[in-house]
Amino acid sequence: MWRGLWTLVTRAARGPRSPRPCTRQGSGVPAAGAGATIFALSSGQGRCGIAVIRTSGPASGHALRSLTAPRDLPPARSACLRLLSHPRSGEPLDRALVLWFPGPQSFTGEDCAEFHVHGGPAVVSGVLQALGSVPGLRPAEAGEFTRRAFAHGKLSLTEVEGLADLIHAETEAQRRQALRQLGGELGHLCHGWAKTLTKALAHVEAYIDFGEDDNLEESVLERANSEVRELELALGAHLRDARRGQRLRSGAHVVVAGPPNAGKSSLVNLLSRKPVSIVSPEPGTTRDVLETPVDLGGFPALLSDTAGLREGAGPVEQEGVRRARERLEQADLILAVLDASELASPSSRNFLDTIVALAGAGSPSGNSQRLLLVLNKSDLLPPGGPDPSPNLPPHLLLSCLTGEGLDGLLEALRKELAEVCGDPSTGPPLLTRARHQHHLQGCLDALRHYAQTRDLALAAEALRLARGHLARITGGGGTEEILDVIFRDFCVGK
Amino acid sequence: MFSLRSCGPWVAASLTKKRLTLARFSGDSAAPLATKFDVIVIGGGHAGTEAAAPAARCGSRTLLLTHRVDTIGQMSCNPSFGGIGKGHLMREVDALDGLCSRICDQSGVHYKVLNRRKGPAVWGLRAQIDRKLYKQNMQKEILNTPLLTVQEGAVEDLILTEPEPEHTGKCRVSGVVLADGSTVHAESVVLTTGTFLRGMIIIGLEMHPAGRLGDQPSIGLAQTLEKLGFVVGRLKTGTPPRIAKESINFNILNKQMPDNPSIPFSFINETVWIKPEDQLPCYLTHTNPKVDEIVLENLHLNSHIKETTRGPRYCPSIESKVLRFPNRLHQVWLEPEGMDSDLIYPQGLSVTLPAELQEKMIMCIKGLEKAKMIQPGYGVQYDYLDPRQIAPSLETHLVQRLFFAGQINGTTGYEEAAAQGVIAGINASLRVKRKPPFVISRTEGYIGVLIDDLTTLGTNEPYRMFTSRAEFRLSLRPDNADSRLTSRGYKEVGCVSQQRYERASWMKSSLEEGISVLKSIEFSSSKWKKLIPQASISIDKSLPLRALDVLKYEEVDMKLLATAVPEPLKKYIKCKELAERLKIEAIYESVLFYQQQQIKEVQQDEALQLPKDLDYLTLRDVSLSYEVREKLHFSRPETIGAAGRIPGVTPAAIINLLRFVKTTQQRQAAVNNLPNTHQCLCDTDGLEERQL
Repeated sequence: MWRGLWTLVTRAARGPRSPRPCTRQGSGVPAAGAGATIFALSSGQGRCGIAVIRTSGPASGHALRSLTAPRDLPPARSACLRLLSHPRSGEPLDRALVLWFPGPQSFTGEDCAEFHVHGGPAVVSGVLQALGSVPGLRPAEAGEFTRRAFAHGKLSLTEVEGLADLIHAETEAQRRQALRQLGGELGHLCHGWAKTLTKALAHVEAYIDFGEDDNLEESVLERANSEVRELELALGAHLRDARRGQRLRSGAHVVVAGPPNAGKSSLVNLLSRKPVSIVSPEPGTTRDVLETPVDLGGFPALLSDTAGLREGAGPVEQEGVRRARERLEQADLILAVLDASELASPSSRNFLDTIVALAGAGSPSGNSQRLLLVLNKSDLLPPGGPDPSPNLPPHLLLSCLTGEGLDGLLEALRKELAEVCGDPSTGPPLLTRARHQHHLQGCLDALRHYAQTRDLALAAEALRLARGHLARITGGGGTEEILDVIFRDFCVGK
Repeated sequence: MFSLRSCGPWVAASLTKKRLTLARFSGDSAAPLATKFDVIVIGGGHAGTEAAAPAARCGSRTLLLTHRVDTIGQMSCNPSFGGIGKGHLMREVDALDGLCSRICDQSGVHYKVLNRRKGPAVWGLRAQIDRKLYKQNMQKEILNTPLLTVQEGAVEDLILTEPEPEHTGKCRVSGVVLADGSTVHAESVVLTTGTFLRGMIIIGLEMHPAGRLGDQPSIGLAQTLEKLGFVVGRLKTGTPPRIAKESINFNILNKQMPDNPSIPFSFINETVWIKPEDQLPCYLTHTNPKVDEIVLENLHLNSHIKETTRGPRYCPSIESKVLRFPNRLHQVWLEPEGMDSDLIYPQGLSVTLPAELQEKMIMCIKGLEKAKMIQPGYGVQYDYLDPRQIAPSLETHLVQRLFFAGQINGTTGYEEAAAQGVIAGINASLRVKRKPPFVISRTEGYIGVLIDDLTTLGTNEPYRMFTSRAEFRLSLRPDNADSRLTSRGYKEVGCVSQQRYERASWMKSSLEEGISVLKSIEFSSSKWKKLIPQASISIDKSLPLRALDVLKYEEVDMKLLATAVPEPLKKYIKCKELAERLKIEAIYESVLFYQQQQIKEVQQDEALQLPKDLDYLTLRDVSLSYEVREKLHFSRPETIGAAGRIPGVTPAAIINLLRFVKTTQQRQAAVNNLPNTHQCLCDTDGLEERQL
């Protein structure tokens, strides 16, 4: 991730000192030697009729023609209605407004195209996939459009000042996003693959650098080859599976958390207007993470009900608590629920001191998570009494039983989600998914290339490329890492 | 791999022969004995000789100061040059008209290219070298170089003066003080003291200071450097014992013959001095459990191994091999030390046990049962200076016009030393002429990778070149070093001879022409199949194939291709080297296209220069964490590209730095655009207000 960011940063940084001539007509295949063309969903995640997908780069014209084929490019900077279809399968995707902005008179200064499509997740995901299949196009990294604009002198220096902060924030958002994607099985898979690949690469490199002088047997290479073959099979299988359609997980992740029996499940049921979770007066009723897609104040969200956080419960519940904590890490917004009448209880205090304090105050690095503190069961408080908790951070009072305070909560949620979804970097899990798929496919292609190559220097280059693709998902992959494996696994030197 | 010739009681006799007279030798007989030179190079090892030669070739009056003239060109460790990665460095040194490759072509006794089956990008040119011949030939070369004076003497101290205001650094070096108290002045000084800084030799539990008897110059110098504020670290290395040739039973060992024909190291040589059939073989044997036993039972007698000083991971002593990888048979190559040498060098048997145990250990090994040890192996510990304190030109940040090259920077190996020597010599000379420094980027050569790694990452073990360190390995090949560097050396520096330049230019343009001709010839795959039936061309491809694509096939070479399509290809097989190089270009063509894109990106980062006088610790208007400031302050990266490679420097920090650089650039541009530029230059503050 670092490497990717780094390239972007410097690409952005080069600035307009050597303006690249843009392919004005953008007809045909992109000019050799130009940078990659990127695409992304540019509109926010709010409930809207129209979603805007943007491309930037020399292959933009080619992409536009591929999806609207066989028609010519629309006139510059005027909207046209076109039928979009998948360039490979020909499957129709949507009727959409398309716009063509030849560089340099565009947002980024490069050739740009815009697709205004209907806002459903299926359509958006279909168009993104179609764009991904056009040669020369790849999903944009977070903030990459802005950086390109900077690189082509479309942003002033003052605007650039915000870029460092933006990158910081995006790194954080990307981290959370990556965690979310990498949490669970896919994460284990990716890390496993990266480990195998690093080892295979290290062994090939060792064979090149030390094979002749030292005690490295031919079997080193054979082992690496068989590892690569297995990896190839695993990646191929995974990608076929992924194409059949992973469950869409669109929307902001809102996680309801709190000590046991604070009324988390009641709140989830209230917000989703359906009985998602079993509710009982018994603490520890919810043991697993329950997810439900909801519409909160106009924003799509994935609401997760989690097990109450406490120590010393049975093994099943402990597993639930572990999952709850994992989910908290990945949340865009935490709904922290406490029992208003039990604020002094140890579990409440503990929860306040850990989760709430940490998220609210923000860590020194500024990586704070959004959190709304809700005091439930306000109906149990004496009417007209003093504020039960003058020392607490800002909070809302609610009674899931009577529904009192619900409007206030919804309003607060709407505000928070507007912030979350307005940030373009957190929005598109669709895009993250596309990005993963892009890099996994790139990795697989490189591995296949490795298998076909006789020249060992070229073969190693293919593995380096493959490792580079995985590194964009999992990080790592530097020279030192490779050398460490070499010196750990072999006795080399004279 | 250190400039210590020998050690301990075995050589005490030769060390007592004290040299008091100052002898001076000059390739330039007309030159008077001066006390002022343009460039002084301290040390006559592989870095020192390579530094002195180009400095003189660039036209600087140069003095090479060495303890003894008869040790110039001494190969103090292994009797070989080159190898994988190291051969690449030698080709690049040669492309800049350096010495070691040419001398090796005159002094080898067994030439062999490693990695023959693994692709030309990773071929490792290597040769066993006759120590005596190498030294003779090197001395002949050095003593006959115009403008180069060689003087015997030990350097005790540096002469320091006020710094030049337009450069960073707290003082400037202007000469050296010799052990006899005399001084020699110079415009720049290159320090190539190898392992001499506080060097210690270790055998078993015995330790000897490594300076020669009667003089301890490098201790004085080490103190001066430390006082100046250089951060010093300590490294260790070792060398194997030497064995009498006639005491080895070669008949029962694996014999390795040299290549036929021999491939020369230098671009300007078509052959080496000796025919393959007259060359000497090498032999292979292995360690066994008895060796492990002796090592493990005597660890208490081995202080070198117990020390915490970092040794190399890849050139380990037999002790560390046994400790880290027990119960294995380790290779031992028995290498000749020269045509008429009675010694054999057991590569792989570097050891610091007490001498009698070394002999016992040797005699457990197959073929060495009756071996006579002539000289024991030993370990060396020495000071090195953290190379993050030098710029890519190898000039130190602290002291202006002082350059470091070789083991003093934490590297190991003759080739690594030679590579730095050339760059230091060139830049010491350019500095005198007030010309911009000559820097090789990591996109241009292994020399660039080496120096960039050292200056941005530093090292905590002796640094050795591997091909895996080069991210653009497919572009930086041994075959094309001349196309990458020779013209730069000729045009920017003047260290390359006319003859070499013309040869390299002819080759480069012929290659370009050849590639474009090969691209222009297109036939259907079935026609190619008919023309060259030997090639495994699949005919189901409907697209036409270019001759360049056909040349990629393993079975196809230029000769075959020129037989199939004589016009216009036959002219390209007249020169064998050209034909071979075209084949290599074809193999890598498709990947090189993408690699060129990446290279361009890196080069663009490197075009973004950071001002050299930035004080990162106090720099205002840039938001940087203290940790990042400290790192930047220590390494002083010259470009945004280098800054980004420093571990711990975050993307956000880079953006902030960039903003700073861009603002500065804009100001600078505004200044340049104004009339009467000279008056405004120092008035940037006022200018800023005007701009705003």
